Amino acid sequence: MLLSKRVTAVLSASLLTLACQASQAADSLNFVSWGGTTQDAQKQAWAEPFSKASNIKVVQDGPTDYGKLKAMVESGNVQWDVVDVEADFALRAAAEGLLEPLDFNTIQRERIDPRFVSDHGVGSFFFSFVLGYNEGKLGANKPVDWSALFDTKTYPGKRALYKWPSPGVLELALLADGVAPDKLYPLDLDRAFNKLDTIKKDIVWWGGGAQSQQLLASGEASLGQFWNGRVYALQQDGAPVGVSWKQNLVMADFLVIPKGAKNKDAAMKFLANAASAKGQAEFANLTAYAPVNLDSVSQLKPELASNLPTAYAQDQVTLDFAYWAKNGQAIAARWNEWLVK
Amino acid sequence: MHRPSLSQRWRGSRNLLPALLFLGLFFFAPLIGLLLRGVLEPVPGLGNYEQLFANSAYARVLFNTFSVAGLVTLISVLLGFPLAWAITLVPKGWGRWLLNIVLLSMWTSLLARTYSWLVLLQASGVINKALMAMGIIDAPLEMVHNLTGVVIGMSYIMIPFIVLPLQATMHAIDPMVLQAGSICGASPWTNFWKVFLPLCRSGLFSGALMVFVMSLGYYVTPALLGGAQNMMLPEFIVQQVQSFLNWGLASAAAALLVLITLVLFYLYLKLQPESPVGNAR
Repeated sequence: MLLSKRVTAVLSASLLTLACQASQAADSLNFVSWGGTTQDAQKQAWAEPFSKASNIKVVQDGPTDYGKLKAMVESGNVQWDVVDVEADFALRAAAEGLLEPLDFNTIQRERIDPRFVSDHGVGSFFFSFVLGYNEGKLGANKPVDWSALFDTKTYPGKRALYKWPSPGVLELALLADGVAPDKLYPLDLDRAFNKLDTIKKDIVWWGGGAQSQQLLASGEASLGQFWNGRVYALQQDGAPVGVSWKQNLVMADFLVIPKGAKNKDAAMKFLANAASAKGQAEFANLTAYAPVNLDSVSQLKPELASNLPTAYAQDQVTLDFAYWAKNGQAIAARWNEWLVK
Repeated sequence: MHRPSLSQRWRGSRNLLPALLFLGLFFFAPLIGLLLRGVLEPVPGLGNYEQLFANSAYARVLFNTFSVAGLVTLISVLLGFPLAWAITLVPKGWGRWLLNIVLLSMWTSLLARTYSWLVLLQASGVINKALMAMGIIDAPLEMVHNLTGVVIGMSYIMIPFIVLPLQATMHAIDPMVLQAGSICGASPWTNFWKVFLPLCRSGLFSGALMVFVMSLGYYVTPALLGGAQNMMLPEFIVQQVQSFLNWGLASAAAALLVLITLVLFYLYLKLQPESPVGNAR
């Protein structure tokens, strides 16, 4: 009798803990992004108002790691509920079955720019690769479009380009070589790499935002390809940095839910809130990244609006995430081969 | 000669069990799982290895890895040897100071040290500015985002790993032996080559091999100080794992790295006279 009593006690205690865990799980979700100022802004613009309104706690985690995401889904122990990823990865991961399909009854798809939404991901924000240059280095000689990168006589100095085999570098080489924006895809890799060959020794590669800023502000690189928000931040700090929006190349981040996420329903609600007109506008106002919601534009700070890709929709080229999702691997093999040659 | 029986020699090996269990569960099992991916993903077979060896780019990556590791080992030995010698020769208190400085650099965060090199070496960095101000050069030297940067940064990081074993070996050398050499008529030069250097051999080998093997798997420093052109194997593996989820190919590359390390480790044991596979003399 005594024993059974003890057993009951232990059992009920463990049941209680389980129940607590379950209820805790329902009331919180893990949000994963890239850290730094971006994630701070996401916390402020999305997570905090969301927690207040819904009583669901948002735990910040990170940084985003695609390998980790895949490992979690494969092992069935998914710790992450909402993850900020690059657009081409969102499409590729969906094709590999790593993501939950989104519930568009909760998330309002109609008001989201169709470029930045898919069945398995909704835009987190979008930005442009712009031509940034150091005014101290180039003086009155202001570069206009990507062809300036390949004109080392008029614009001497190092060129800063994005290091990873992802959308951007190949496209700008082709544009500089005279390919029409609507004829970019499928990418003519031979032509792109041939063009890049002409400046290969003048390229300095950057792998992250802070590094790109350091290169441009110090004059280590005279000009290059940069994320628009990073150039804007340098200008705000008073660095002698100029920008040309001609042929700006649009890239985006998506928010996705890994397959088997423990708090799927809460995550859907979080996405609906983040992609809403208000959530997107607030995030844009904090970061100088552009909103994916079409209704956000009117809520932007006026002094900021002219520094966002939304103001330069003309002469803008949207990178083809779907093409990269499908061909990224093959391009990367070529890319590595070219790099180490 | 008395040779202990097998059971006697292996007595006490039971004490190894906890460590073996720990390593087995948390190191060998995951490692084997990882290596299996190389032959199972995306389709079973040797496709990944075929890809790795057929593509000239990957061969180039492998070549980069070895040449950087070799160069770093050479430079660390050339710089570490006199340093270790100096530590042994100077009066005792000073030697300890020097050794502490070497250790201190080892205990500072790797990332911080690597970034400091970036600050020193870049085109608008301290060294270039000083050289230009002195009129020695007109245009900044390119010392970073290329092979030079990687080798400088890594050699600096690896020097303690060569100084510590070398210094221990040198410290154990009886000065009387050298004295005996010179009494017998050896010139300082001969004394160094024929007496001192052979006595340093074990420390030199273990230090150099440790540096070489560590350099093969180094990631942070090449990623920050190197250019994209000089990609090394660890960076390639990270790219495949994180960006492309191509775990099969990454695991094949990792297997290659493990295999090379094991071979080198075996050679190292062979060269150590007191190890079980060593050439006892």
